[in-house]
Amino acid sequence: MKPTGILFFPAFDWAISPTHPEREERLLYTRDQIFEEGIMDLPQIREYQPGLATFKDIARVHFCVPDIEAQITEAHLVSAGSALRMADAVVTGEVKNGFAIIRPPGHHSMTVVHGNRGFCNINNEAIMVEYLRHKYGLKRIAIVDTDVHHGDGTQEIFWDDPDVLFISFHQDGRTLYPGSGFMEEKGGPLAYGTTINIPLSPRTTDDGILFILDKLVMPLLEEFKPDLVVNSAGQDNHYSDPLANMCFSAQGYARLNQRLKPDIAVLEGGYSVESALPYINMGLIMAMAGIDFSNLKEPDYSPHKFKEPAGNREALQRIVDTQLRVFREREEKIALTRAKSDRPFRMEMRNIFYDTDYIHEQQRVEVRMCQTCAGFRTIVSSARHPSGREYSVGCVSIPFGACSECQTEGQEAYRTLQQGNTQLVYLQNKIADEYRVIDTRSKQETRL
Amino acid sequence: MLIGIDVGGTFTDGILFDDGRILAAVKKPTRTDNLQESLLAVLDELLSAAQGADIARVVLSTTLVTNLLATGQGERTALFMLPGYGLPHKAYSVTADIYFLQGAVDFRGRVIENIDSNQIYAALQDIKQKGIRRIAVACKFSNRNKTLEQRIRDEIVKFDPNLQVTISAEVSGKLNFPRRAATAYFTAMTITEWNRFAERINQAIQARHLDAEIHILKADGGTMPLSASLSNPCETIFSGPAASTMGAAALSRDKQNSVVVDIGGTTTDISLLISGEPLYASKGARIDKHFTHVNAFAVRSIALGGDSVIRCRDNSIRVGPMRIGAAACFGGDEPTVTDVFNVYYELGVGDAVRSQELLESVAQSSQMTLQSLCFFVVETVIDRLKRAITEMFTEWENEPAYKVWEVVHRRKFQLHRIIGIGAAAHAIVPILATEIDVPAHIHHYAPVANALGAAVVRPTLALQLHIDTASNLYTTDSGGLSGTLPDPRNFQLSDAKVLAMSCLEEVSRARGVEKYTVNASFFMEEQFNMIRGWDRVGKIFEVGIQVAPGFIDEYQGVSE
Ligand SMILES: [Zn+2]
Ligand SMILES: [Zn+2]
Repeated sequence: MKPTGILFFPAFDWAISPTHPEREERLLYTRDQIFEEGIMDLPQIREYQPGLATFKDIARVHFCVPDIEAQITEAHLVSAGSALRMADAVVTGEVKNGFAIIRPPGHHSMTVVHGNRGFCNINNEAIMVEYLRHKYGLKRIAIVDTDVHHGDGTQEIFWDDPDVLFISFHQDGRTLYPGSGFMEEKGGPLAYGTTINIPLSPRTTDDGILFILDKLVMPLLEEFKPDLVVNSAGQDNHYSDPLANMCFSAQGYARLNQRLKPDIAVLEGGYSVESALPYINMGLIMAMAGIDFSNLKEPDYSPHKFKEPAGNREALQRIVDTQLRVFREREEKIALTRAKSDRPFRMEMRNIFYDTDYIHEQQRVEVRMCQTCAGFRTIVSSARHPSGREYSVGCVSIPFGACSECQTEGQEAYRTLQQGNTQLVYLQNKIADEYRVIDTRSKQETRL
Repeated sequence: MLIGIDVGGTFTDGILFDDGRILAAVKKPTRTDNLQESLLAVLDELLSAAQGADIARVVLSTTLVTNLLATGQGERTALFMLPGYGLPHKAYSVTADIYFLQGAVDFRGRVIENIDSNQIYAALQDIKQKGIRRIAVACKFSNRNKTLEQRIRDEIVKFDPNLQVTISAEVSGKLNFPRRAATAYFTAMTITEWNRFAERINQAIQARHLDAEIHILKADGGTMPLSASLSNPCETIFSGPAASTMGAAALSRDKQNSVVVDIGGTTTDISLLISGEPLYASKGARIDKHFTHVNAFAVRSIALGGDSVIRCRDNSIRVGPMRIGAAACFGGDEPTVTDVFNVYYELGVGDAVRSQELLESVAQSSQMTLQSLCFFVVETVIDRLKRAITEMFTEWENEPAYKVWEVVHRRKFQLHRIIGIGAAAHAIVPILATEIDVPAHIHHYAPVANALGAAVVRPTLALQLHIDTASNLYTTDSGGLSGTLPDPRNFQLSDAKVLAMSCLEEVSRARGVEKYTVNASFFMEEQFNMIRGWDRVGKIFEVGIQVAPGFIDEYQGVSE
């Protein structure tokens, strides 16, 4: 039996600010717990060393404004790079699955990056997924976001990608940051139904989440048949988390992962640093490694501690029914959209708020309504940075699945955008694995 | 004058050292059934060579505890484990005589579950029936709070004052409960036999009217006084490879990256010096498949040495792993690896004609030419050594890191040279070095480098101090110190370092090595703000201080 890979990178020398939830202390007690348990000595476990992501790995997903250096620290390169190392080990078959216990987190980061959103600058899972597709030719990937907050960054990045099934369950956006993740958010016009949101009422317990897992998440995965399943593993559904209001326990997390069987789990949020994280991380490791976790619990936990809110089961059943239907009719709906589409592009205006850095970004997004592929996308984005500088950028993204027409038109769009009034124009060509930025005034172009 | 004696598996080596020179070297076969005899025979020869001159220090490296554990001859010991919540009980398998008891401590040192006297009583009744006289007690996170272990010891002594108890917090205070439990268990198993041995050595020294300090070599390449070894027998394991590696460091004495290749009769031990410092095994010494908290060098042993016999079986050439006797050129009955290198590279070692004659006959029976036989053996030997060396580099490069700084500043291992030691190094190491394309360093003291290493290394002591100002508690990972702070609210990293130094001094006084604390240096300085809500409620400090492996002041290198 192959071991489970663990990559533990607590970034003991990195914090957003000294008292911020994302501080050095966050994984300190997890370190104590997993080292005291001697988990890394077990034959079922192989410990991996952190790695560094390259700028190209980041450019495969993000348009960083004004450049990558401005948006990240070395800690981000190590965190993302560690997810890549774990993914390498899983895909090459060195380990049966892997858990990257890393920080800083990433699931609130979107395609365009003007600053830090929800403690995130760059999206570790998205960088990992695109790296795997580039390096190993994987195609279909499922990301199950189990963080209590809606994974709005990951959702936005794969919004128009029908080959990535993004499932997020989270505390209802009406009661928690970032205020999104409603059932109506189902993916772009040509990727309808591969974004599945599951908003949960506050105080949902292990029972409720495992119900959703069994009745909705597992059937979706079975039908989608992904090459790889990623758990975007937040730990803030825990009953003791200070930033949310759910009632999930370490046993619940362990059981969830035992059933979900993710190929790779990547740590996201979770800010109950003492009462939850040490136990949840143990539970996740044990579940992934197939170790009996019946002796694991938080010191203050008892199985009868929480009761599922009244009427919750019925509400969950309605979500299950609706979302199964949405998913199953997706191909039909997309075909209809294509047949009816009378314009070459579908345009959308968006406002994006960066809570940590207090930035308001305006976006105009266009997706080509292609008859053969899911189209390429252009984003024109502007925002005033905390420095006071106003940035306006144009971005073109040619996805892995782009047809030859979309590739040609995407390249064309890169040139056309340079005639406009944005300061920087980006081309992200995933097929050629080429990433360009041009300064429209100096005409200086950099390539990765 | 200094004496170093390394009791190895096959031979016991000893040297008498003074003023940069080895005045006498003695090599005798080890009597595995009587280590003490082997040791004293070598000591007596060295003493007579000293002609009554003053001996300042005698350092002994012995395989006694290693042998006891390897052959399962330790005393039967019960292990009381308090694993609390986490891994299932079946994950712990160091002995069949395990008793799982109630009681739990968490990472902050808080007692989260109490012990149960009735359960302890029942376990003790059972132990009594089995006739077990010795108990090791290990509680998860006892390194943060040892009160549960102490209370259990009290209960045991109350039950029967003749039962011998070892508690894990007093053996090691490092994180890793299974390793701590195993270390406590192995300590309990071997402590009586080790103390008996130490007492006999002590008497023998008295009988010889020696006014020398007697030290024991540890797995970490440092020494401890014989008296301090009484409660830490496990630290004496694997001291042989430590002696060799420190011997290599003593002969090279610089900041290069080196591979130390110690080619003995039947085995070759490979270790690394990184910028001149020996590399430790990241998971501690492994005893009987169990990791422990014994700090030991990272050593890779392969069953291949200068005396590995060359035979032909089923029409193919076998290289070792057996040793029949010495190499043919030194009068052995069968050709060995040393003979092959002797003939192939025309080294002219010993009776080279005899090397060639015996190899010819093996070549004939395998229908090969002498030349191709030798070529095959040389390839095989060099290949196995190269592979082992590469594996060691990779292991070192793949060590985990937990800070951004460590990842960004990680370096590739760049090898500067190979240091050959041991009896057969002269024949094999230069060829290996040419193959890897680095220089070979083989000192003429290389054959006795292990005994030299033992003779000249200084005591080592490492201590990690954990301070939690919110709980107002500090604990150390060695020496078992703990206490409270005078002013926890205003405690700073600089205060933590002062406290660490005074802890080190206290522990070194208890071990009788206080004069070496002037060599202490900090190897870890971490602090964490503890934030609850948006307020700082305290700080956690981790400060590491050590007297690292090195050499006593009297040692200023060897004269060429
Ligand atoms: Zn979250
Ligand atoms: Zn297309």
